[in-house]
Amino acid sequence: MASTVERARRALRTVLDPELGIDIVALGLIYDIREDDGRLVVEMTLTTPGCPVSQSLPQEAARALDLELPADESRDAQVRVVWDPPWTPERMEPGAMDALMHGRRG
Amino acid sequence: MNVIARAPAPSVTVSGGASGPPTPPASVPLTFFAAAGAGGVAFGVALLLSSSDAVISPFLPQVLATAHFGVLAFLTVAVLGALHQFAPVAAGRPLRSVVAARITAGVLVPAVWVLAIAFAAGRPGIVAPAGLAAFVAMCLAAWNLSGPLSARGGGVPVIGLRWATGLLLVTASMGVLYAFDLREGWFALLPRAVAAHAHLGLIGWLGVAYMSVAEKLWPMFLLSHRKRNRSGKLAVCLTPIGAVILAAGLLGSVAGLMFLGAGVVAIGLGAHLTSLVAVIRHRMRGLELLHAFVIASAAFLIVAVIVGTIAASSSDPATRLRLVSAEVMALICWLVLALLGHAHKVVPFIAWTALKTRGALPTGGPPVLFSHLYDRRTAQVTFGLVLVGACLAVGGLLASQGAVVGAGGLAVALATLITAVNLTLHPLALLRSQPAIEGRTA
Repeated sequence: MASTVERARRALRTVLDPELGIDIVALGLIYDIREDDGRLVVEMTLTTPGCPVSQSLPQEAARALDLELPADESRDAQVRVVWDPPWTPERMEPGAMDALMHGRRG
Repeated sequence: MNVIARAPAPSVTVSGGASGPPTPPASVPLTFFAAAGAGGVAFGVALLLSSSDAVISPFLPQVLATAHFGVLAFLTVAVLGALHQFAPVAAGRPLRSVVAARITAGVLVPAVWVLAIAFAAGRPGIVAPAGLAAFVAMCLAAWNLSGPLSARGGGVPVIGLRWATGLLLVTASMGVLYAFDLREGWFALLPRAVAAHAHLGLIGWLGVAYMSVAEKLWPMFLLSHRKRNRSGKLAVCLTPIGAVILAAGLLGSVAGLMFLGAGVVAIGLGAHLTSLVAVIRHRMRGLELLHAFVIASAAFLIVAVIVGTIAASSSDPATRLRLVSAEVMALICWLVLALLGHAHKVVPFIAWTALKTRGALPTGGPPVLFSHLYDRRTAQVTFGLVLVGACLAVGGLLASQGAVVGAGGLAVALATLITAVNLTLHPLALLRSQPAIEGRTA
């Protein structure tokens, strides 16, 4: 059976950036997924401060985790938005970068 | 009718810098944009109707009406709408008052329409109070924007917007003075004074506002990360300074100041174009329709600088007047192309956020992206139309061909109308198909 972290990553792959059409894992916006004392913690960022989806995207990530994980695992889970280190395009998965450069969307 | 429960709030908590700066409700910028759309159509129609006058003199009443429809009812209303949304985002601080933003739109839009119509009807007695009302609305907007714009940080966009907002007030003050002079006849309103007003408004206010917003939006849309942005900073600092010197030179008929100002403006605008090239070079994303609009818009800026330079060196007053008319039209086209291009990015984003908040985005099936909120082919047609319209308008003025200018006006009116419809239909359809939410009237 997949671990909580693996299931969380899979759930986050369903969250798309509505401007770019690419999921937030492929975009490199997820910095860390870990369990701290049995509690799931996701650290994520955004492409730029003040980006159009700065309010909705972390909420979407939280909702996706909520849908994927059983209640006892999601209850204390936390999505933390961090700005350090700042996101750079180099953090994207190669496939995502290729899709963006050639106009293909996920 | 289906009644569904709104999705429950996730038990997963979100923390950190996710709250974002509080932008005003979507209805604030969208009200300005809707009014600007009507202003754009009116500008194109007015250009069509005044085309035979436009090639005779830019000071004829119908032509003055057209210019004010374009610069005030279309461009200024749209840019002010954008700034009410953008300044809080760029500076990380909200507007001083959402109510004041609504009052601004409520006063400004009818005031500028009355002003333009009064010009067309040759009623200076109405132009003056309408201009005063528009000026009051602009002062209110400047006060409101001073909330976010007084925040520390914010970088190049905020520096530029401080300049732009200040020069909006200077331009509007000049406009009110000129409007009352038309009625009272205090002084002779010479062509140079009108040119000073036009250049301050088009370059110092609208141009610098556009550059400032673009310095944030272009890298964001193209995922173009540069370590430093010296050219962008130069653009938003030198262009307004140059515009002020140029206007002072024109007002005082001081050739040295005029040429110095024009030189500084040219360096500022060159830095703006350099910044555009740098953003495109560093991009991590393919170019899209927006960039066709932006690049075509930049071409009109270059045309304006070239035609303006030739006009300044012309010794024949009639030729100079014709060239300055074409230069001013090229500056308007620079901004119109940029505005319609960016509208296809900004309006869907604001509409998407509003639809999301209302629960009007479908939850099943493929996700709705920003680009799904308008029809792409229609947008391409719009680009073709406005580009042709801009070429005809500028070319017609250069060649003194009224019919050509009129055809340009018709194309611009159609392009603006199609843009407004294209950006409205999809969000409205989603809103109408929205299932009733539990707790609301079903």
